[in-house]
Amino acid sequence: MKKTFVLLLFLWMTLLTQAVTYTPSTIPMVHLQDSTRYVCNPEGILSQAACDTIDAIFRTIEDSTGVQTVIAVVSDIDPQDCFEFAYNLFETVGVGQEGKDNGLVILLSTSERCIQFVTGYGLEGVMPDAICKRIQEKYMNSYFAKNKWDEGMVEGARAVKNHLLKSDLQREDNSEGEKDLGLLVFFLLFCTPLGLAFAAIRQRRKCPECGKHKLKFVSSEVLYKTSKGQKTRYHFQCTNCGHDLYRDIYTSFSDSNSSGGVSGGFGGGIFGGGFSGGFGGGSFGGGHSGGGGAGSRF
Amino acid sequence: MKRSTIIVIVILALLVLWGISINNRMVSQEEGVTTAWANVESQYQRRADLIPNLVNTVKGYAAHESETLQAVVNARAKATSISVDSQNMTPEQLKEFQEAQNQVTGALGRLIAVAESYPDLKANENFKELQAQLEGTENRIATERKKYNEVVKAYNTYIRKFPQSLFANVLGFDKKPYFESEEGTEKAPTVEF
Repeated sequence: MKKTFVLLLFLWMTLLTQAVTYTPSTIPMVHLQDSTRYVCNPEGILSQAACDTIDAIFRTIEDSTGVQTVIAVVSDIDPQDCFEFAYNLFETVGVGQEGKDNGLVILLSTSERCIQFVTGYGLEGVMPDAICKRIQEKYMNSYFAKNKWDEGMVEGARAVKNHLLKSDLQREDNSEGEKDLGLLVFFLLFCTPLGLAFAAIRQRRKCPECGKHKLKFVSSEVLYKTSKGQKTRYHFQCTNCGHDLYRDIYTSFSDSNSSGGVSGGFGGGIFGGGFSGGFGGGSFGGGHSGGGGAGSRF
Repeated sequence: MKRSTIIVIVILALLVLWGISINNRMVSQEEGVTTAWANVESQYQRRADLIPNLVNTVKGYAAHESETLQAVVNARAKATSISVDSQNMTPEQLKEFQEAQNQVTGALGRLIAVAESYPDLKANENFKELQAQLEGTENRIATERKKYNEVVKAYNTYIRKFPQSLFANVLGFDKKPYFESEEGTEKAPTVEF
């Protein structure tokens, strides 16, 4: 009984994933969650390895030329016309920086059997229609004709990269506002924790006896250890007045929170802080397209 | 001065300021229409600029298709001779412009269809590039026409709504014509092989 249910559920889900017809506004934009990703591959038509390769290629392109790309790989599309869909996707998302309009949309529809590039106004000069078409015909269509989606997309992405990196397009930051915002974010994300950490370090080096920031670490010993954590005694000495200071700090193994009873008179953990890793979500600048680019069927 | 006079003057001043702000808004919307029209025209011009090159390339391979080639050249000549001033464009003028451009579209479609039967021509790099550019230009034309219609719609709606409609007539802001999509001509010819 349970097995049948699971089987039915599986069947239903397969049907569900197959029945999806994407519109320009329903394609999930992976770039918004993770700024290093460019390939929207909601149906898993491309393999993960191919997606990673293509993501890396378009990351290089954006870093060195500022050209922002959205790649969508889907089966059914609405509207069915590939250009219309890709153009609408471009305008809905607003690929590229506003004012520079240096966005690029690459759409592959496996059921319409078409590949379509749409370039922003600002990209028409470096990537004219004929170049887009040539890239498709030379590097992509022969693979697509054999349903080799991975190979075709990766080859096409490489060709786009080779072309764009050869052009004299240079990344530069667009507006003053963006720069200011960038600076602010930089301060908030980087300088504030750094300053706080520095202040904390300085505070910890303050000698309670003479008030000078001259405490120096001498030694440490583990007082006791349990399965949950350990208590360590740190010995500091002031190089100014020679005052000895002991701090007992409890380090928990489970969540690395530290708390400590301090014999010297003030509390605090071991030099803490640290930066959270990983990448945040990206954003689109609101670029526009005049309908440049090229498409072909295979 | 009497108190009532002051009140009347203040109300009049406010009315004038209000009128000025409506006028300015209509002016900027009309400018938007002019810009959108200029974009449409420049895309049609782009297509017209491609034609001589395309005709010459085809001529090299299919010289005896002179009828088809001549039709393209004639349609282009006719279309480029029509100039429309967006400031006082009438629906008839736009219709004339559109018909002439549609003829170019049709003639180009036939030319491309003819090229189908010449394998050497189809393989020619120059022809392929021209074809890609032509396709892109047809897309751009469709896009700019759509954008023009959107801007015109916003403008027409604005000037015809009350109370702007009171000012629009007096200040000479007229309704602007739309591009009409006609059966079979709205879609760019599919240039495919």
